[in-house]
This record gives sequence, structure tokens and C-alpha cells, in this order.
Amino acid sequence: MEQFIYYLKVSLKGIKRAPLPYALTIFILSVGLGVFFANATFYYQLNSDPLPDKSDKLFFPMINLVPYQCTTDCRTPRVLSYSNVQKLSQSDIPSQAAAMYSADGYLRVNAGQPPLPVSIRITQRDFFTMFEVPLLHGSIWPDNSARHEVILTRASAEKLFGRTDVVGETLLLDDRNVTVSAVLDSWQMLPRLYDANNRNHLTDADDIYLPLETGYDMNYLSNSQSSTFDDTDYRQLSTQGRTGALHQLQYWVQLDTPAQQQAYRQFMHNLVMDEKAAGRHPSEPNNQLVAMQDIVSYFGGDSSDIKAFALVTLLFLLVCLFNASHLSLNRYLSNQYEFSLRRALGASRSQLQLQMLADVLLMAGFTIAGALLTGYAGIKLMNQLLPANRLFSDWDLPLLLGLLAIAVVCSYLVTLYPSLRASFGTLNQQLKE
Amino acid sequence: MSFYLLIKGLLNRKVVTALLLLQLAMTLALLLNSILLAQQTHQQLNQPTGLDLDNIVLVQLKPTTASLRVYPALEELLNRQLAAVSALPDVVAAAYSNQSAILQGGNNGNVYLDGEEGRSNQPSVPMYFVSKDFFRVLDSKLLQGELPQQSVSLDNPVPPDVVITQSLARQLFADKPAIGQQLNRGRLAAVISDFYGQRSGTNVMFNSIQVAPPFGVDWGYSILLRTTPGRADVVRQRLDQTLRAVEPNIEIFHIRSLAEQHQRLYRNEYGLAMLLAILSALMLLVTMVSSYSSTYFHALKRQQEIGIKRALGASKNTIFIELLSENWLCTAVGALLGVMLALLLNQALAQVISIPALSGYLPLITIAVLLLCVTVATWYPAAIATRVSPATATKAL
Amino acid sequence: MIRLSNLSKIFRTELIETHALREVNLQVNEGEFAALTGPSGSGKSTLLNILGTLESFDSGDYQLDGQSVTGLSDAALSKLRNEKIGFIFQSFNLIKDFSIYDNIELPLRYRGFNASARKQRIEQALELVGLHARRDYLPGQLSGGQQQRVAIARAIAGQPRILLADEPTGNLDSLMARQVMELLEKINQQGCTILMVTHDPDQARRAGRHIQIIDGQLHDSTLYEPLAAHSA
Repeated sequence: MEQFIYYLKVSLKGIKRAPLPYALTIFILSVGLGVFFANATFYYQLNSDPLPDKSDKLFFPMINLVPYQCTTDCRTPRVLSYSNVQKLSQSDIPSQAAAMYSADGYLRVNAGQPPLPVSIRITQRDFFTMFEVPLLHGSIWPDNSARHEVILTRASAEKLFGRTDVVGETLLLDDRNVTVSAVLDSWQMLPRLYDANNRNHLTDADDIYLPLETGYDMNYLSNSQSSTFDDTDYRQLSTQGRTGALHQLQYWVQLDTPAQQQAYRQFMHNLVMDEKAAGRHPSEPNNQLVAMQDIVSYFGGDSSDIKAFALVTLLFLLVCLFNASHLSLNRYLSNQYEFSLRRALGASRSQLQLQMLADVLLMAGFTIAGALLTGYAGIKLMNQLLPANRLFSDWDLPLLLGLLAIAVVCSYLVTLYPSLRASFGTLNQQLKE
Repeated sequence: MSFYLLIKGLLNRKVVTALLLLQLAMTLALLLNSILLAQQTHQQLNQPTGLDLDNIVLVQLKPTTASLRVYPALEELLNRQLAAVSALPDVVAAAYSNQSAILQGGNNGNVYLDGEEGRSNQPSVPMYFVSKDFFRVLDSKLLQGELPQQSVSLDNPVPPDVVITQSLARQLFADKPAIGQQLNRGRLAAVISDFYGQRSGTNVMFNSIQVAPPFGVDWGYSILLRTTPGRADVVRQRLDQTLRAVEPNIEIFHIRSLAEQHQRLYRNEYGLAMLLAILSALMLLVTMVSSYSSTYFHALKRQQEIGIKRALGASKNTIFIELLSENWLCTAVGALLGVMLALLLNQALAQVISIPALSGYLPLITIAVLLLCVTVATWYPAAIATRVSPATATKAL
Repeated sequence: MIRLSNLSKIFRTELIETHALREVNLQVNEGEFAALTGPSGSGKSTLLNILGTLESFDSGDYQLDGQSVTGLSDAALSKLRNEKIGFIFQSFNLIKDFSIYDNIELPLRYRGFNASARKQRIEQALELVGLHARRDYLPGQLSGGQQQRVAIARAIAGQPRILLADEPTGNLDSLMARQVMELLEKINQQGCTILMVTHDPDQARRAGRHIQIIDGQLHDSTLYEPLAAHSA
């Protein structure tokens, strides 16, 4: 240890001898890594899997069951109608299934209070188990039937009541009475893959949850996408909306095994064939069963700006690495005489390697500090310039460790080549030069 | 100055030169593509919208109680709000609409000639349900027909007349007479000048307007105001209070000028262009550092050589120019590689974002910028290097 | 050819002033072969540097070929050096990564000769030093004596009026040293003025004139028999 401290001291002396090149090396490496870190953070978070053991078991079935015959655009609609979902729900193959959409509403404890604008996820019972939503108080609706009961998130409970245990309390949701049946614990699924249409997976989770049937009864229209393919009056959601071709629902099913998945595909096929035979499916069948892990790219919602920027920052990091190693090579060459002198005085190669290790560690230390600083500033800047991604700017432990490892490797690379050149060169020649 | 010796000098330092070249090429490639992207964003932001962006103010709002969102209470609320904002000083015209212009997407649907759906259908055409002064607010020019003067309910047996923009009219009717034709949404009453509707539509200038109270306001609605020139900011400040005085049970999502709305619509592109520009600046800085340090160390290592050259009759200027030329040559070669790399990067970027192809005078300008930066960065160390005393340097060892 | 009048050079640091040269007067005529000797630190290198316009001086005057160098710009001094003076250094000072040919060519390039004129002069110079066959070698591939001969070829390729040699044989063994000396004598016979710093009394004796410098002053300036008489 004492010996290593000595090596560190020698390294520091070397820096003091030529501070400018060292500072420039650190600067360049920090900037390169910092910019890379900033972008890597977004890239990592945006591509992270919120449900690693389930994302290949949850599927969004889409069918082309619409009353028109497609001519040019034969893509399956991105949302389903109520009757589509009813037909798909007939199967008992999925272990879990939930239809859903989101709407805007106003919530207050009593008529005298100012309204709280909320985003409502209108969904079914299985939603909470399927996406592993933690429950704090109360219980989830026992079935999928209509009931004037809402489930609050912890944050909205605190906002409305100032406390979390509010099960049984009544609220006014758009002037209609509802009861609180449960309060969820803090929960954030990022990216919110169950809602990838229109890039909604980048946004925050909804504030309250309402049973699907009640949502239709209360005439809530989707705030994301409602499309009608016939003359359904979308003001009559509770009646015409349940029968007509008003598409606004997402539907997720859990299919645990490949056999189940195959069986469900077969079920979808049979369903569409029956509908076709009944004359209710004029278009060519185009069934889709998209796994949750593929849903973003299926909807074309990949964050292309981050991808483009990733390409560019990687190039930038390379440039910075080249540059830093060039600088560092020059620094070593100007120190070469001393290096050779040490060897002449009897330092073994392994001792010189230790010295090199001290150099690497020192450089890594400075670089990491600089890179984290630059990276942090970069993230703040990117949040300003690309606010759509701001939820994906957090550093977690694995990410941070990964970044640190990259910084150490880069420092090592930048120090390796020059110091090898310095320590393995012909002793004699260097002293003579 | 000898080109031959310069090249020879560079070839003698293969590793260093290769690194420098690679870096210069990457810098140029990145710089070039950033400029392209910035140019594209600039063009997008400056494309004609057909609207007087600075003097139109948009309020997006929604009643917070369910009873105010159904007719006839809603229509009465809309009219009260319109009356109040119209009475404000500096307001030239005011109208409500189910949605604003200059949006990403919104309320839209098919438009086709009755009975000719297969042939004439135009999908995703924005549908506006507005009060009659909407056209005055937008300052639309009436090109054909007559603007509807009465608000007609969408539930009326004869649906309200339709007004469409010029581009859509041309698409639907070509040069044939359009007025009086029956569209799926109603009888065509007028054709007006183009304005920017929805970005996600097939053509941003396609719009269809009906003077009618909106179906519903579940997604909120817009109040649009035209102000006397330059007074938009003053009007904006009064709007919140005015509207809340009319009816307190409303949520106002935002109050913006259409210019602001337009900027927000392209915020992502702007952000990306900005980021790339910042990165390019950083890259130039790194290149400058590298030019600086390579000249600095190079000169340091070759003090003796410079001394010898001085003794053999090279003036300070000769040495200075020699050092600069070395970097110029390097930059020029790097720039050539860079243009090739830029083409590759351009193609790679085109896979993930929309970016125009590389062409024209742009590479020349970027090369000039690069040369300038390299020159600036090389100046100081080169000047220092010329100060080497030939007497000392030739005496070394 | 060279005329120094009351020339002084003082090195100043914060603490002390060192008089490297005091009121030196010296005249070297065209065609002379002069040896400059003196102990370490006596100022002989300083004198040689001043003569070669590599260093400035503090007072007095220096006329080279009838022209005062005082007040000349860096560019003018460089031109003067390039055209009229050839240098030979103790450590040869060849540029390591240039070939023999490129090394000799360098001053000719600065002079602005075109390619064919350069080629002709280089060939002549190489012929004279007897290294024609080695023109594409790098300096490191030659022996010390050969390197010094290349340096001489480089110095004389531009046909300077005066050759300044700083211990040209200092790094060479005696055989090599003799070859170099013979070469210098040959060049002198062709009319080039030579001023050579040396430690070797034999060499000093061989020169036509022996100038001694001690403590910055030219102590003794003895005129020997012209060399031509000896070797003839």
C-alpha cells in the first residue's frame, strides 16, 4: 500500500511537470464520455424492459374486424372496438386479460372544491396483476362489471385527502359520485408499454382507475385515439359505442407458454373466419399478436432522435478517445527519458506496469468526475431540448456502474498504448536519444 | 514551401497522422450533417403556414363540470365567452373551434365526393367546427363561393355547409367547378386560401371547416383571436382573467400565439438540431485542441530540426508557414475523407430520422470552417516554435 | 570577408552578467582557413554563432562580405545565412527522417532553386564528398564520418562564401577526422573561406590561421604559412 501511494505520488509529479497536456487529456475524455453518458442514459432507459419476466408473455391481439373493405390502407387498426374486445374475450386461453383506454376528467372531494384534472385509466380487473401494480390499501374490483368505484394512485390520494388510507371515501368524478375501492402504492412502469400508441409510453402513468364498463356508461372518450369506421355517434358511447365500430380500446392478454400463444393465434384465426363467413369482416384477415417487448417498434414509436444522437455520440466518443490517446502518447514521449532512467536504475517491467496502473487509476478518477459532471449537464440540456424523453433521464445503479466501467476502460486504453511504448522500448536506445 | 517534404513529414508520423485524419474526417462528417439538420429545421419553421402567426392568439380550454359540456349549456357558454373576449380592446375578431390550427394531429376524418368514395377519398383531413368569425380570425381569402353566415347544428337533417382549403379543392375537383358539390360532410359552400392544419395529415394544407357548434368538448376546445398587429402579448395577459370572469368552472390548458404553437410543433426537430449543433461545436473544440497539441508536441520534439532549418536559412516565417501548412494539408486530406464519411453518416441517419441528402456548396463551407478553426488553433504553438534559438537547438547533445 | 569591430556580447540573468565577448576585433579575408581555439566557456561557440547570424550581439559591428548585419530583419538574416554561410556542426545535425538527398536539398529549397538546379548542385556536392552511392540512405544508416561528410555536402551545396564549422571532427575517430579535414582543406582550396572551432592543436596547426579566444577576448592571432605551401 505504501508502495502504491508512492506510485500515485510519482504520477502526480508527472502531471505537475506537464499540466496542460494532462488537463487537455482529461478534458477531452470527460467531454467525450459525458456526452456519451448523457445519451446512453436515455438510450438505456428508453429501451429498458419494465417487466423482464413478462414482456414476452404479454400480447396485444389486433384484428381487422371493421365494417369497411380496405382498399389502400389495409393495416390492422391500432385500437379495438368494444365489440372486438368482447369477441376476443370469449377465449379462456389467456391466464389474464384486460382491455383499457385513458380519458381526461375532473375529480373533487365535494362540489365546493376546485376540480383536480386527472387522467383516468379505464380498464379491467386483471390490469393490476398483469402489470404487477402494488396495492397499498383496499382491494381491486372483484370482476369486470360496472361499478362506481375508483382506484387512486398514492399521489392522487395524497393530493385529494392529504393521506393514503381513503378506502370507502366518496368523490365527485365529473360531477358523478364514485367510491374509492383501493389505493395503489407508488408505481411507475417506464416505458409504459401497455400504452405505446401515439408514443404515450413515454408519459407518466394515469392518476386514477375506473372500470371499463363504467367508463363506457359515463361516456368517456379516449384522450389518445378514438376512430369510428361507421356512423356511430361518439356522443352515444354507452349505447352505440358498445355495438358500433368505434375503436378506442387496447387489449392485453397474458399467454404464458408457446402452446398457449399458438392456441390463441388459432383462436383469433377461427374468430376472424367465423366473422368473415357471417359477412362482418369484409377485409382480408390481417391478425396481429404483438408481444409487449415489440409493441413500440410495431407502432413505429422508436425514439429515432435518440437513436440518431446515439450514433453521433458514439462517433464523438471515438474521436475523443483517439484524441486523448494522442495527447497522452505525446505526454509519455516527453516523459520517456525519465521512464528509461527508472528502468536503468533497476525498475522491473512489472513495477513499471504498477506505475502505469497508478496512472490509469488517477486518470480514471479525474475522468469519471469530469464525465459525470458533463453527463449531468448533458442530461439537463437534453431534457430542455427534447422534453418528450424527460422521464427517462434517471441514473440507476446498474447504469451508473456500467458507465463507471466504461470510463475506467477508456482511461486504461488511453494510457495503455503510450505507456507500453514507453516501458517496452529498447532501454539503451531511449537513454541515448 | 515544399509539398513533397510536407507529405513526407506526415508519412513519417503514420499513427499520429492517421489519428488526426480520422478525427478530422469524423468532425467534418458530423458538422456537415448537423448543419443539414439545422437547415432542415429552419426550413420547416419557415415554411408558409398561410397564417399571421404573430397576431393570432390561441386559448385551449375545457369546462370542468359535466353539465357545462352538454348542449344547450355549452353553446350558451361558448357564446358568452366569445362575447367577452371580442369586447377586449385590440381584439379584431374572435371565434371558437373544436380544435386549433397548427397541430400534430387532432379531430380528422375522410373527405370524399358523395358517391365517389373509392376514387376521391382523402383520409385524415382535419374537421373544424367553428363559429362564423373563424375565417376573419385566420384572415382567410375567399377564393370561390360564399362563406356560411349561420351556425347550423351537426345533427340537422341537412348538415351544415362545408368550406375547404384551396389545396384540398384542387385535389378533389382539379379544375372543375366545386361550389355546390355534395361532399360526405355536406354541401360545399366556399373555397378559402390554404392554412396549416395538422402535421400528421397527408397534406398539412388540407382542411375542412363547418360553421357549427362542436359535437362535444371532451378533448377541450379552442378560442382563437386575431389582435391588432403587435398587440398579441397585451391581449394574452387579459384572457385568463376575462374567461374566468365569464365562467369560473373552466380549465385553461394554455394561451399561446400561433407562432409559439408552431415552434412547439417542431420542438423535437429543433431540439435535435440544437443538440447536434452543440455537439459539432464540441467536436470543433476537440479538433482545435488536437491541432494545438499536435503542433505543440511536434514542434517540441523537433526543436533541433527547426533549429537546423533555421541555420540553413529558413526564416521564422518559413517555419511558421511550414507548420501551418502541415496542418492545412492534414485538414484538407481529412476533409476529403470527411465528405465521404459524411455521406455514409447521412445515409445512416436517414434510416432513423428525416434528413435531407448532402449536396452543393455545404461541404465547401464546412471545410472552410474547419480550416479556420485549425489555423486558429495552430497559430500560437507554431508562433512559439519559430522562436526556437537555432544556436541552442543545433548545439543540443 | 568577415570584419568584427569592437563586438561585445553579454549574457544576462537576474543575478549576474557574463561578458561572453568583449570588444572583439577580427578580420577574416576571403579564402582563409582559420582555426578558432580556446578552453570551454571561452566564448568560441558564441563567436561562431554570431558569425553565423544565429545569435545577436550587444554592441559593435559585424560586416559580412562588406555588408553590416546590424538591423537586418529575420527574413533578411535568414536569406544571408542561406546564401552566404554554410554550417557544419559537431553533432552533424542531419534531419533523421530525411534521406541524404533530402537533407542536402533542404537549403537549396529555401533558396528557391528549381528542381533541376537543385539536382545538379546536390550531385556535385555528393560527388565531392564521395557519397554519391548513398543518396537514398537515411542518416542513421551511415557512419559518423559519412554523416559529417553529408553535413559538409549540405553546407557547400549552395556554394556559400564562408563555411562555419563547430568542432566538425569532435565526434569522430582519428581516421574519420582526417578524412573530414582533408575534405575541408579541399573545399578551402576551391576558394571557400572556412572558420573552424576545434580542440585539436594538430588541426589548428593545419589551418592557415590560428585564432585563440580566452575569456571572451581574442588573445592571439597568429598567421601561419599558407596551407597551400605545406601540402604542395
